[in-house]
Amino acid sequence: MWANLAWRLFRHEMRRGELTIILFAIVLSVSAVLSLSLFSARLQSALTEKSAEFIAADRELVSSKKVEDSWLQKASQLGLNQALQRYTRSMVFANNKMQLVDVRAVDNHYPLKGKVKISVTPFAPPQETDTLPKTGEVWIDSRLFQVLQVNLGDDIEIGDAVLKIGGVVADIPDRGFSVFGNDHLLLMSMQDFAATHLDGPGSRIGYSYFFTGTAAQLSDYDDWITPNLNRELHRWRSIEDDDSAIGRSVKRAERYFLLASLLAIVLASVSIAVAAQRYSQRHFDPVAIMKTLGASRATVQKIYLVQLLLITFSAIAIGLVIGFAVQQLVIQAVADKVSVDLSGWYWQPILMAVFTGFICALLFSMYPLMRLFSVPPLRVLRRDIGANLSSKSIQLLSCGGAIFLLMLIFSGDWKMSLILFGCGILLVLGLIAFTFVLIRLGHKLGQGRISAWQLAWARIRRRSMDNAVQLISFSITLLLLLVVLVMRNDMIGQWRAQLPQDTPNYFIANITAQQLPELKQHFADLNVKTGDLYPLIRGRMAAVNGEMVRTAVSKDDDDTENRGRRGLGREAGLTWLDQIQDGNKLVAGKWFSGQSDELEVSVEQKIAERLDIKLGDVLTFNIGARVLEAKVTSLREVNWQSMKPNFYFVLQPQAMQDFPATYVTSFYLDGQDKALLTQLLAPFASISLFDVDARINQLREIIDQVSLAVEFILVLVLIAGALVLVSQVQASMDERQQELTILRTLGAKGRLIRLSVIFEFVIIGLVAGLMAAAANELTLYLLQSQIFEMESQFHWQFWWQAPLIGAGLVGALGAASCWRLLSLNTAHLLRNMF
Amino acid sequence: MIKTRELTKTVPTSDGTLQILKPISFSIEAGETVAIVGASGSGKSTLLSLLAGLDTATSGEIELNGQRLDKMDEEQRATLRGQDVGFIFQAFMLVQSLTALENILLPAQIAGLENAEQHAKNILEQVGLSHRADHYPNQLSGGEQQRVAIARAFICKPKILFADEPTGNLDAENGQKVEQLLFSLNRESGTTLVLVTHDTQLAQKCDRQLIMQAGQLSEAIKQEAQRVG
Repeated sequence: MWANLAWRLFRHEMRRGELTIILFAIVLSVSAVLSLSLFSARLQSALTEKSAEFIAADRELVSSKKVEDSWLQKASQLGLNQALQRYTRSMVFANNKMQLVDVRAVDNHYPLKGKVKISVTPFAPPQETDTLPKTGEVWIDSRLFQVLQVNLGDDIEIGDAVLKIGGVVADIPDRGFSVFGNDHLLLMSMQDFAATHLDGPGSRIGYSYFFTGTAAQLSDYDDWITPNLNRELHRWRSIEDDDSAIGRSVKRAERYFLLASLLAIVLASVSIAVAAQRYSQRHFDPVAIMKTLGASRATVQKIYLVQLLLITFSAIAIGLVIGFAVQQLVIQAVADKVSVDLSGWYWQPILMAVFTGFICALLFSMYPLMRLFSVPPLRVLRRDIGANLSSKSIQLLSCGGAIFLLMLIFSGDWKMSLILFGCGILLVLGLIAFTFVLIRLGHKLGQGRISAWQLAWARIRRRSMDNAVQLISFSITLLLLLVVLVMRNDMIGQWRAQLPQDTPNYFIANITAQQLPELKQHFADLNVKTGDLYPLIRGRMAAVNGEMVRTAVSKDDDDTENRGRRGLGREAGLTWLDQIQDGNKLVAGKWFSGQSDELEVSVEQKIAERLDIKLGDVLTFNIGARVLEAKVTSLREVNWQSMKPNFYFVLQPQAMQDFPATYVTSFYLDGQDKALLTQLLAPFASISLFDVDARINQLREIIDQVSLAVEFILVLVLIAGALVLVSQVQASMDERQQELTILRTLGAKGRLIRLSVIFEFVIIGLVAGLMAAAANELTLYLLQSQIFEMESQFHWQFWWQAPLIGAGLVGALGAASCWRLLSLNTAHLLRNMF
Repeated sequence: MIKTRELTKTVPTSDGTLQILKPISFSIEAGETVAIVGASGSGKSTLLSLLAGLDTATSGEIELNGQRLDKMDEEQRATLRGQDVGFIFQAFMLVQSLTALENILLPAQIAGLENAEQHAKNILEQVGLSHRADHYPNQLSGGEQQRVAIARAFICKPKILFADEPTGNLDAENGQKVEQLLFSLNRESGTTLVLVTHDTQLAQKCDRQLIMQAGQLSEAIKQEAQRVG
């Protein structure tokens, strides 16, 4: 019986548009979650795929020893593709010259992702190749040709082997990003490696095992291999735990997508809460009638739960279709900028969207439905009687609990969920306090002769509790939009700042003090501007407070964040500076005072943590044959993402006066000026050139793609937010309808009513905007400092923009709804009312 | 059919408690038509709400069709209403999202009656609205809505029918139509009718009149009460 009745009610109410609002809210939540998370899943997969090129695989196992065959057999069983690289640093000899190089011996499956790049001649433009050095030959980089003064076809000695220089290697995918950590590169075939005998006793050979496969295969192998890893010997890498500039940008973008999706869920939840409230109030009469006609409470509950489930199912189905379509449209719109694979299918976003739809619909409707079920039958005689249940704590618990639960399940991130939720709670408390101020204000301002202004204030005062709910929903909506917008601005701003248009794309090192004036003049003559000059000397940190660091160092070797800094411990680039570098931040101690008798050193914070170095410790450096002791007087935070020379150890200049230093500097050449390179460096044969142009372009390309994706997500959230605002205003107009109808019936002019509504909404919008700006500042501060690892900044401009936008937007929407209401004829309104 | 003994109703107010109904005792026999008349605020609608089990009394006893209403909880009262009671309200109280026919069907569906649809169509024809079966309440005039409400009240063949100002919202012509329909259907089905009104003409059509005044029954009713007591 009740099922039949529920179905009839659902069908009719659907046809008559009674369910539009709640249906719309669930559709919005499902489609927003699906489109955002499906889009971000696809985009993340595209970015991960692209980023995977930077480790030449999906996963890399770096090991300081050969791993057991069974590990590789397991990978084969799981269907993973594999490649092997052995690497070491070794001296090479040619043309009576010698040079330390980064030797990479690769098998013929390498690289699994990305391409090796070669040049036809040294310093010629790089091009991708699918070939590798043949047996008996090596490829070396352009700089090595310069340093060894060799040509293609010459012999080169590596360990015990003599091989032929068969090509110019411009780049390999897993080269790493560090500007100074890289030695000259030598790429050779694995088959020749044994003949070099570089793997003799005491050698330091590393093994890189590369793997690619499907997500499921990789995940199975992740699970299998993780327990077998020995932290001292192995490092299991994927692009996700890459701490390079790319890795961080991708990670940050992923967090942003997550944040945007979370906020979309909250937006949708707010709109469902508003809609459910309205739905419940509209059904007070039918429930009272049914109870009067003998329906038990259980029957009423079943009827409405079935109806809600029917709405939820329909809305989820519609939401899935819309969400999928929106996502498809967005992907097509960005197709020429980001290559996103549409063929992949992701179940998680769909499950998440369906789950969100259910949780939102059920938990946010819980309290309104409980109120609805409590409507007494006596309402049929006494129309003023509403629901018997009035417990804000149930409402807050069910709504708050639902939001927090969704945030947590969706993000799996306690910290992010707590920050967003906590700031939301603070906002709500602030708004409740503000509402009381408004009520008092409204009491004063609402007095006097009838005017639109007076009517507006009087309504605000009279409907204080309803307005508080509305204020909260408007503020939360505005807050979420602000957070998404400002976070995007800050994030893209910081990305772009990281790589401004004239970021140096060439570094030169090994400049002697004598060459400096001549080099400066030569560069100035050719109109090329050089960056800061840094003195550089290779040194090895040998001891901390007299205790040798060998064990700590070997541990560090397995733990280094990327390959570029692998050499640390044996030798590091030491510099000395009067002033702290741009982009470095002092986090402990003081910069060199020059007062102390002891020599001072400033240490990078992370390496200090890793090697357990504290302020006041005395570090011993071996520089050539000399020993230098310096006291740690400061710790620095270094932005490794900046494409600038960065140093673990910065010494006091006085300490270094006697050491023969070379200098490093950087310069920028745009594409057209590259021909200048040879001319620039011709007079300085001993200088080494580091070409990071290709790296920077790759990085920029990825950042541009991520930025574009972030923009689209922003637009999606803004549209969702705008729709929520419209539905909120619509719902609140409903509540005002009775009063406005009476005013209209009593002959109030349209202008008076319209203006009073506009004023009322403008005041609410203004307050909501102001409170949203305040909460936005706090939320962003916490998100940026705790989650996004960004520098947080104060956004003063939003303190005036948000209230104005709030007032404008909410006022305009109010005016539009009011206009619709006033365009209906009074008799029609009255009939609908009673 | 209906018996009350020392029935009272008080409600809390900001100035203490307010007694809406002073102790009332009376009885109504099966098949009787009784009008409760009185001025606005005299307590007649409160009395109706207690008699119909829509509200609970502060003290006293109510017996409806041999069952003690005052001993029942809300659920039991709802079951009793579904089985034995029909209602007609001043504000019609039709479910806006159901058609005329579906509104009539509603109590039958709640009571789980079979073949209710045919019966509903017949009764809709009896009230002269078969051509309006698929119309929603807001597409009907006030008189038509009340006729639908009357049809709904009779579909389950209730033993007792409570009507609260059934013509209060209607013009004279429609009011008369509704009156005629109400009394003729009532006669046909032999239902006990309790009607609350301040329309003395309507009240006179009933077998008996109970007069409410400031929460008390008028003298004539008191005699009745004494007779019962």
